[in-house]
Amino acid sequence: MSGQALQESLSALMDNETDELELRRLLAVSGEGETRATWARYQVARAVMHKELLLPHLDLAAKVSAALADEPQVKVARRMPWTGLGRLAVAASVTVAVLAGVRLYNQDDITSTQLAQSTAQPMLSAPHLQGPAILAGYNANASAEQGVRVNAARTAELTWQQQRLPAYVRQHAQQAAAAGSQTAVPYARAASLENR
Amino acid sequence: MGRLGTFLLTAWLAVPAQAAALPADTAQAWLERLQTAEQQHSYQGTFVYERNGSFSTHAIWHRVEASGQVRERLLQLDGPLQEMVRLDAQLQCISSPQVEQRASVSGLVMQQLRPAQLAAHYDLRILGQSRVAGHAAVVLALLPRDQYRYGLELHLDQQTGLALKSLLLNEQGQLLERFQFTQLDSRDALSDAALQPGADCVAVPVAPAAPAVVSPWQASWLPPGFNLTSTEQRIAQSASEPLTWLLFSDGLAQFSVFIEASPGTEIENMHRQLGPTVVVSQQRQGVSGPVMVTVVGEVPLIAAERVALSMGLVAEQATP
Repeated sequence: MSGQALQESLSALMDNETDELELRRLLAVSGEGETRATWARYQVARAVMHKELLLPHLDLAAKVSAALADEPQVKVARRMPWTGLGRLAVAASVTVAVLAGVRLYNQDDITSTQLAQSTAQPMLSAPHLQGPAILAGYNANASAEQGVRVNAARTAELTWQQQRLPAYVRQHAQQAAAAGSQTAVPYARAASLENR
Repeated sequence: MGRLGTFLLTAWLAVPAQAAALPADTAQAWLERLQTAEQQHSYQGTFVYERNGSFSTHAIWHRVEASGQVRERLLQLDGPLQEMVRLDAQLQCISSPQVEQRASVSGLVMQQLRPAQLAAHYDLRILGQSRVAGHAAVVLALLPRDQYRYGLELHLDQQTGLALKSLLLNEQGQLLERFQFTQLDSRDALSDAALQPGADCVAVPVAPAAPAVVSPWQASWLPPGFNLTSTEQRIAQSASEPLTWLLFSDGLAQFSVFIEASPGTEIENMHRQLGPTVVVSQQRQGVSGPVMVTVVGEVPLIAAERVALSMGLVAEQATP
């Protein structure tokens, strides 16, 4: 298996797009240090992209190999008339192993999405501002603070951000209000930050 | 139908054509009127401000003094009392807990709206006519020519050129904020009493003109058309890295860059959206340890992130 083809296959596996044959080829070379390293790098890259917590011991290849080892049909299957069935069984359990890993990722995805919604962009995820529901006492700052509390684990960081960012936003808005040609808009923007 | 019918049809067609032929009939000319309108007309009115998650009502008193200076008082009418009085760009008083921060800011130059310059980065168009706060208005659109700024819809008073309504829109056309007059009177003279601040408006001392500061931090990339309009540096008591504050503008949108010493711990990069305002903060290596680079402004996230990434020490950039 050439280097580039291998990388493509690994990438496909990351996206859960490998077929059985490709998966087997990958598993055959998965013992090689380089392949493992590439796979690990992909996982790190993916985790970074999704801002997930790294799970250092999650090794999908090991799980899939184990699943295959528990499949006695594999060797017999070729000589048996119900070959197709055996292949199906293998495919099924490989799928389960891959899905198990994927589900883990997906759970992290969901968590990170929820966090992103509650902390990173509380305003954009809220319904659009034309609705009357928002006008009646909906307080975006409060919801942002709640989101912040959810993330209490990252206290140091949030303390800095909680301390400094509101001051920055206020300073920017007040500066813009003083220097801008259309004073009223930046002034109202600054004022809206104080409405708690 | 005959001759009469043809005549009526022609007359009917001629009416909207005539209405469209207003004193200044290009978007650029209207923006020029807006620029001078604030310096020419005294007015008082009430307006609403709405952004995602916030809605408030305000009163404004705006008087052009005999000297040509503009005195303006703004007061929030609902919720906590908030007030601001300014004379041209100099803040006179503000009812905010952050007064000490503002006290050191000086020598601000009123930002000029330069339609010709704006036209390079915004597609200026007249969309039509509308009616806001009982006034006939002309509707302008300032559509961004790139992804680094937001679009603006402006409704200008046909009589005075004052902005009666402005809507800020993101790249998907979603409304980020609304400013809209509900009542505006530009005929009656304003009394001194109307411009007198309330007791809670804390006077802002006039700071001596600070010497021009050259920041050691510079942006190696800025969205086209954005220029540095103000620089400020302050030495914080406990930090080795001074707080640097840079303000950039393209003539319409503004963003600030803040750089200060990081508290030491590893702080993850983050971004937040507060209505029209985006906040991006990133940790970076400074002269003497890690610093936090924070971009705050009414620009799309992509612009703020690129600016934050491009911030570097001047010496660093001299030797690439």
